[in-house]
Amino acid sequence: MGLQAASLVVVLAAWEGLARAGWVDPLFVPAPSAVARSVPSLAAVALAGLADTLAKTAMAYAVSIVAGVAAGLVLGGARVLDDTLRPFVIALYGMPKILVLPWIVLLLGYGTLPAVVYGALHGFFPVLVLVSGAVRDVDRHLLTVARAFGARPWQLYLKVVLPAIVPAVLAALRLGVVFCLLGVLVVEMFAGVRGMGSLMGALANGFRAPELFAATALVSAASIAIVLGLDALNERLSRWR
Amino acid sequence: MTALIRAAVIVAGLAAWEVAARVGSPLLYVPPSAALPALRDLLLLRSYPDVLEHLWLTIGEILAAYGLAVAAGLGVGGALGLYRTLGRVYGPILAALYAVPAVVWYPSLMLFFGLDAASKVAFGFLLGFFPITLAVLAGIRQVNPQLVTVARAFGAGPLTVFAKVLVPGMLFTLVGGLRTGLALSVVGVIVGEILGSKAGMGALINHAYGLLRTADYVALVVVTLVVIVAADVGASLLERRARRWTG
Repeated sequence: MGLQAASLVVVLAAWEGLARAGWVDPLFVPAPSAVARSVPSLAAVALAGLADTLAKTAMAYAVSIVAGVAAGLVLGGARVLDDTLRPFVIALYGMPKILVLPWIVLLLGYGTLPAVVYGALHGFFPVLVLVSGAVRDVDRHLLTVARAFGARPWQLYLKVVLPAIVPAVLAALRLGVVFCLLGVLVVEMFAGVRGMGSLMGALANGFRAPELFAATALVSAASIAIVLGLDALNERLSRWR
Repeated sequence: MTALIRAAVIVAGLAAWEVAARVGSPLLYVPPSAALPALRDLLLLRSYPDVLEHLWLTIGEILAAYGLAVAAGLGVGGALGLYRTLGRVYGPILAALYAVPAVVWYPSLMLFFGLDAASKVAFGFLLGFFPITLAVLAGIRQVNPQLVTVARAFGAGPLTVFAKVLVPGMLFTLVGGLRTGLALSVVGVIVGEILGSKAGMGALINHAYGLLRTADYVALVVVTLVVIVAADVGASLLERRARRWTG
């Protein structure tokens, strides 16, 4: 931890020194002190943008988790369906979603809806793949025994399958949020009028490097905080299990 | 039997697409029956006569980005894996940075490298770099440390240890990372082109979309997808080969 903080300080100091000595063009690589100075003037706009982006991400996240877990339960539970559709799911998961982004914007316009849809699209497939895989790999013996003791289908899902896939769902919760945030930011950069993505795009186009660096740091910090928060939650839940 | 059902799923999907698209506005929805002629026009160089130049540019950007990502990923991952202290200090920083949606770096790269190919190469590099580095790091940890100790005792330097002991020992993990890295480098280049560029397939896609030439847009997407799928098929063949070699 000490070494990590120390190397961060060294990097920042070296960067500051290079910028002051004029070895890098401050138009493109501003000194850390210049970035820090830009924070007060940017703070209000950036925080509003971040709130907007995170609100869209939360909506996209909710949609992708609910739809992904539901579809994963269906797909993983029915062997025939899974065997048939798996290649399509893998292909859609691997396909760069950016190719359909222009069409989504064409259909849904500029604003909140395309960002939520595209963000959810990003989050949906990893959740679906993780959850359907976990459902498929539920110990067959447990299912057989539960059935032998007369469990009904809904009881099988509630008492055997759901507890067994909790780790996969938790992993999906962690993975999905980064994908959703990524999708929302991409839409905002491509065709946004609000949010951090559009703010960062505008700052880059305006050659306002100090503000851009500050905004980038803010989004990065927010997303690291979210992931660490989910990790902590994960840890707590797995201890409880 | 499953192959038959899969074919039926594809046909049903295309049919549904055709019906749905005919109901909607032709400016927004393109049925397959309209996309195919657009694809023919594109391939015959009628709709975009310079499509091949753009295609080569995109492929060139992908190759450059991936080459840099492989070189840097092997170097950084190897250094962090071989020198445990370095790995303990900087491994978590890398993992934390990996948790940041990579697209946040793109505006800075665009500012720094401009709208031309360099910013796309840089972004493709950035996306490909992380999985390769992390795979090298994870792979080195799998290798039996006694093999490394023995090799060192016989006087092997870091590079020899890397090439003769570590790479064969971690090949399985390494090729997985290399394949993911390629897929992400491809995504990075294409995302970069669509977010802002003057040339390349992404620029053509934006052009077609901006002019509501939706059928041409679909055709360009299909051609781009062929490039993407070809890259992944090539990578998976190499992966299979490497797996057979390690047994």
